[in-house]
Amino acid sequence: MAENNSVKKVSTSLLQKRWRKFKTLKRGYYSFLAILILYIISFIFPLFVGRNALLVKYNGDYYFPLFKTYMSTDLGQTKDAYGEANYRILNQEYKEADKGNWVFLPVYPFGPNENLLNELEGNPPHPPSAEHFAGTDDRGRDVFARLLYGFNIGISFALVVTLLSYIIGVAIGSSLGFYGGKLDIFGLRLIEIWSTLPFLYVIIIISSILQPNFLLLTFILTLFGWIGITYYMRGEFYREKARDYVSAAVSMGAENKTIIFKHILPNSLTPIISYAPFAIVANIFSLVSLDFLGFGLPPPTPSWGQLMQQGLSNIEHWWLIATPLISLFLTLLCITFIGEAIREAFDPKVYSRLR
Amino acid sequence: MKPENILEIKDLKVKFPVTGGLFLKKIAEVKAVDGVNLELKKGETLGLVGESGCGKSTIGKAVINILKFSSPDVDITGQVNMRTDDGEVDILSLSNNEMRKYRGLIQMIFQDPYSSLNARLSVGQIIEEPLLYHTKMNKSERMERVAWLLEKVGLQAEQSKRYPHEFSGGQRQRIGIARALATNPKIIIADEPVSALDVSIQAQVINLMQELQSEFDLSLLFVAHDLSVVEHISSRIAVMYLGNIVEIGPGYDIYHNPIHPYSRALLSAVPLPNPKRKDKERVILKGDVPTPMNKPSGCGFRTRCPIAKKECADFVPPLELKKTDHFAACPYVQ
Repeated sequence: MAENNSVKKVSTSLLQKRWRKFKTLKRGYYSFLAILILYIISFIFPLFVGRNALLVKYNGDYYFPLFKTYMSTDLGQTKDAYGEANYRILNQEYKEADKGNWVFLPVYPFGPNENLLNELEGNPPHPPSAEHFAGTDDRGRDVFARLLYGFNIGISFALVVTLLSYIIGVAIGSSLGFYGGKLDIFGLRLIEIWSTLPFLYVIIIISSILQPNFLLLTFILTLFGWIGITYYMRGEFYREKARDYVSAAVSMGAENKTIIFKHILPNSLTPIISYAPFAIVANIFSLVSLDFLGFGLPPPTPSWGQLMQQGLSNIEHWWLIATPLISLFLTLLCITFIGEAIREAFDPKVYSRLR
Repeated sequence: MKPENILEIKDLKVKFPVTGGLFLKKIAEVKAVDGVNLELKKGETLGLVGESGCGKSTIGKAVINILKFSSPDVDITGQVNMRTDDGEVDILSLSNNEMRKYRGLIQMIFQDPYSSLNARLSVGQIIEEPLLYHTKMNKSERMERVAWLLEKVGLQAEQSKRYPHEFSGGQRQRIGIARALATNPKIIIADEPVSALDVSIQAQVINLMQELQSEFDLSLLFVAHDLSVVEHISSRIAVMYLGNIVEIGPGYDIYHNPIHPYSRALLSAVPLPNPKRKDKERVILKGDVPTPMNKPSGCGFRTRCPIAKKECADFVPPLELKKTDHFAACPYVQ
């Protein structure tokens, strides 16, 4: 075997190094993969979990209920034949009739907002069973499906709010730290005044005037969520501005925007990145709390907070409170693990107690 | 401006306000540089020495006009005239925007090779940065220039893809030198460029700077606190104490026959690597350097001067010609 001496040493930037370190921190890395994969899959949940069939063959024609709504009469449903087609009933009827018609259902054929009272015996909430993994809620909707769809909404909401508040917070914090002087003094006082506004009261007041929806809630939470990162960025900019590489950039003739975006900002990423998972945790929690209190997303949006609230009022039906709590706990735990691993990966000291 | 000069500093004063109280009123000021006149001749190396806090780095930073960026409250008066293609320009009267087009002519080498390179950029990106601002080169021309510069400073062209954290302190300082040379500047301010390096590396970097100086026809303002380093590289040396220049003259002369009592004390503190040599008398100063917030009246050195007289408190001694090209700010020595 010929020895290859000309192997080039591959150079790594600091971020690449940190990413490698992050990958060695198994707990955080696997949590990251789990959350990331589950979140990506959650966008195609209708393929696995949902009331609509993926494909229907009826009288020789093919139908795609995922993309178009069909009435029950269109497909020859006889039982409960009103409104939209019910593909589970359709499936049974086609099988009984045995005329070559068939329905291809998702693996878990129940939707998050679907009322199952007609198909289930007894009064809701129904306890968990082989068919309904987590039972149904007090309106006969499948809890498992609601949990999964709620996951997508919760994470998306937290990501959007975090991103928006980061944009605002980083912009304001950077300006305060970079320009300093009077802007800094007065800017900080304004931020202090703003941060004393009681967040929950504002939400309650706005919710009582306007019907909250995804956009409005994002807007309100962003309005109160940008302050934390602002302080971090201001401090980072103050510190980095005094470092020699910034003086070097000035002495080379760099303009302020180059200094900010090419020099200081990339060197101030550590707080941005290591703060992000915790900001996401906080935002998921905010949404759950608002939903719990009834000021969150409008019904019938599947949400964990709303499920918990049901659980509280139906405390004897344990699955209503246990399943959202366990889901929330696991999600937040995973994200916290990610945050810890990121923090450690960005720690210049080699120190691995958290592993 | 004299024809042989490329840079003239006239009566430069730099004061940093000290603020305090609830409304951050100015309660005192630090006179970091208190009326300095200096001339940098074309192609020469002017060594600027003095102990910590005497204002030598501040002069370097004032000359390159970056003080106002890091401390906007600073009060700078005087003139720093630089010879450019458009004639003489007073650097201090320029705003940062106006200064930008002259930045290619005057560059700086920083003291700390660790903090003076942006850790997020590769070496190639670091060295090419001044080229982006001062030349119209395209990407491949810039990369060619970077490779050439890297080899000039004793590194390899392939190393331009590496990041600063993959280099040692001496190599990083070479990168800093390459960056300063990128735009073919006329003047380089070297702010203690070797004080953060090992002694063996210091010699390499100093020799490199000397080679490059003759090759690039540079005028060098070399700030340092280590006299033996300065003596090695400088054609002239200026000694500073508490924001004033107390002695200035040819390098050899200052090093071997210092006139001013402070220079004598400073020189006698230079460690000699010869255990047998005992002929040298140590001049040991008493007390500490007074704070530049509250300088003594008259001669700043009088509180520690072995030959101080009562009259020293009455006037600031001007620089007097003592020998050829050799000035000292003390009327009681020859």
